[in-house]
Amino acid sequence: MRVHRRNFGIALGFLILIVVQPLFAAGIPRCAVDDARQELCMSAPAQRIVTLSPGATELTFAAGAGDKVVAAVNYSDYPPEALKLPLVGSHTRVDMEALLALKPDLVVTWVTGNPPAQIELLEELGIPMFAIEPRTFEGVSSVIERLATLAGTEQAGLAEAERFRSGIAALSEQYRNAEPISVFYQVWQQPLMTINNDHLIGKVLQLCGGVNVFGDMPRLVPRISAEVVLQADPHAILTGSAEGVADDQLDGWKRYSGLTAVKKSNLFFVPASPISRPTPRLLEATRIICDYLDSARER
Amino acid sequence: MIRPLLSLGLLACAAMVLALGLGSVTVPLPDLWQVVQGEGSALNRTLLMDLRLPRTLAAFATGGLLAVAGALMQVLLRNPLADPYVLGLSGGAAVGALLAMLAGMGTLLISGSAFAGALLATLLVFGLAHGTGSWTPSRLLLTGVVVAAGWGAVITLMLAITPSYKLPGMLYWLMGDVSYARTPWPAMIVLVFSIVLIMPLARNLNVLARGPMQAAALGVAVRPLEWTIYLLASLLTATAVTTAGSIGFVGLIVPHMLRLVLGNDQRIILPASALAGGTLLVLADTLARTAIAPEQLPVGVITALLGVPTFLYLLHRSR
Repeated sequence: MRVHRRNFGIALGFLILIVVQPLFAAGIPRCAVDDARQELCMSAPAQRIVTLSPGATELTFAAGAGDKVVAAVNYSDYPPEALKLPLVGSHTRVDMEALLALKPDLVVTWVTGNPPAQIELLEELGIPMFAIEPRTFEGVSSVIERLATLAGTEQAGLAEAERFRSGIAALSEQYRNAEPISVFYQVWQQPLMTINNDHLIGKVLQLCGGVNVFGDMPRLVPRISAEVVLQADPHAILTGSAEGVADDQLDGWKRYSGLTAVKKSNLFFVPASPISRPTPRLLEATRIICDYLDSARER
Repeated sequence: MIRPLLSLGLLACAAMVLALGLGSVTVPLPDLWQVVQGEGSALNRTLLMDLRLPRTLAAFATGGLLAVAGALMQVLLRNPLADPYVLGLSGGAAVGALLAMLAGMGTLLISGSAFAGALLATLLVFGLAHGTGSWTPSRLLLTGVVVAAGWGAVITLMLAITPSYKLPGMLYWLMGDVSYARTPWPAMIVLVFSIVLIMPLARNLNVLARGPMQAAALGVAVRPLEWTIYLLASLLTATAVTTAGSIGFVGLIVPHMLRLVLGNDQRIILPASALAGGTLLVLADTLARTAIAPEQLPVGVITALLGVPTFLYLLHRSR
């Protein structure tokens, strides 16, 4: 269905390009390919954007299009301005009526997070949609650039994308020869869950010179037993917590006094939403993790 | 005999009008009327014709299917605790749907896979209970309950190994949700046809409800009748589950409520179940959409919250 619109959009785009480009530069279609590999072309910059995940909200603001966002979903808590936005339900259950009533000209969706049935219905109703889900550092920058293209906010968007890109590149350069240190990242305490090297958090650990003890597990977010953690005996244990403030999530490990991470008190708390959302705040979270691993190396 | 059905029919119509009029976006009455006349703004038309109407019809059909299936199962198994899911049909459907979700298939394939799972579950229980040895409803019930436990284990296993980002979709499917319904028509057609088909059998069902010996003595071919009921109830349930996931409670409680009020005559209970089950689910879904809008609740929560006090009241009054 979207292919149809794309062909039409491209045809229209060429037509306008050839015939009236010198007269109406604003009529050039803005095209971008989303993370589900669908191309979306818009004849004019998006003016009424609805974001269907907290990450999408954050990335749209990062692209400089914050003032064009007319609604978001629950838990869209960053930047603080996003808290004032009207809500259209949650990312797992969208209030379709409220969404349609806002007459959005662009809906930013989440590839694997939104219910497929609701997305299909929006598609049938002809709502322009852009599905995002960055899985790499470059993916974060690229999504910001593509959203900025659609919203016509290239100046702010490209700068932010570049700030993130060069920030990650600088850290990557700084830690390229850092002494490897074994790390266990605890995603969830009960049941015990971690991440492998393909996960963005796994990539953060690698960038900082950390060696994820479960990096080679086949599943992205494996469920594991405490026994294998004890066997792997990591030098540092990390987890996410609200604002990165220490809480009781790692207390369970303290009773294993033989564990190297416990002996050297290398139990660290990272701010949860920056590390778990693929947004520019990931850069700050990466800095924090690199610093933690540095201090762990010294102990 | 026709009076209670008429009032239930009116109630159903009123519930549907309410469902069309209410939503998280307020559409004023004059605007509603405009849309009915084929006019009105594009937004209002989309809200009513593309969102509310299909969903309301789907809710009605699903509720009706489940209530009729429940009434049939209770007669078949002569057990007041029987509901459409007791023989493991929803478990089979859930395994089908969850497998399709795990494989990342589209909504149409999820529905198809759920329906296939429901049919597989039906045939499995049919084959196992039909096997050697004497056949009794309690044998069918035991077979079904054990097979249902097996499906439950498979579902738990699948939830345990599924990547976490796919879990919400699966859990919502298991809770049942009318927003999954893309088109109400298959469910509507199955509901109407099955009522037409079952009504001539209703007298025999009345006799069967008194016990198979009496029914046989009165000239009812018990075994074929029982299998017909089983297969029909399975088809109804499979259609309902395919439309909106496994919505609980309606199939168990609605027939009982009606028996408390109308007496146990299947000629009334079956069509009345279709109307009352549909009405209950339409009302519940309307509340689910609007109660804490823009947040959307799963409809099963509301059916139980509405149904439990109503049922307890009726039970208390009947003493």
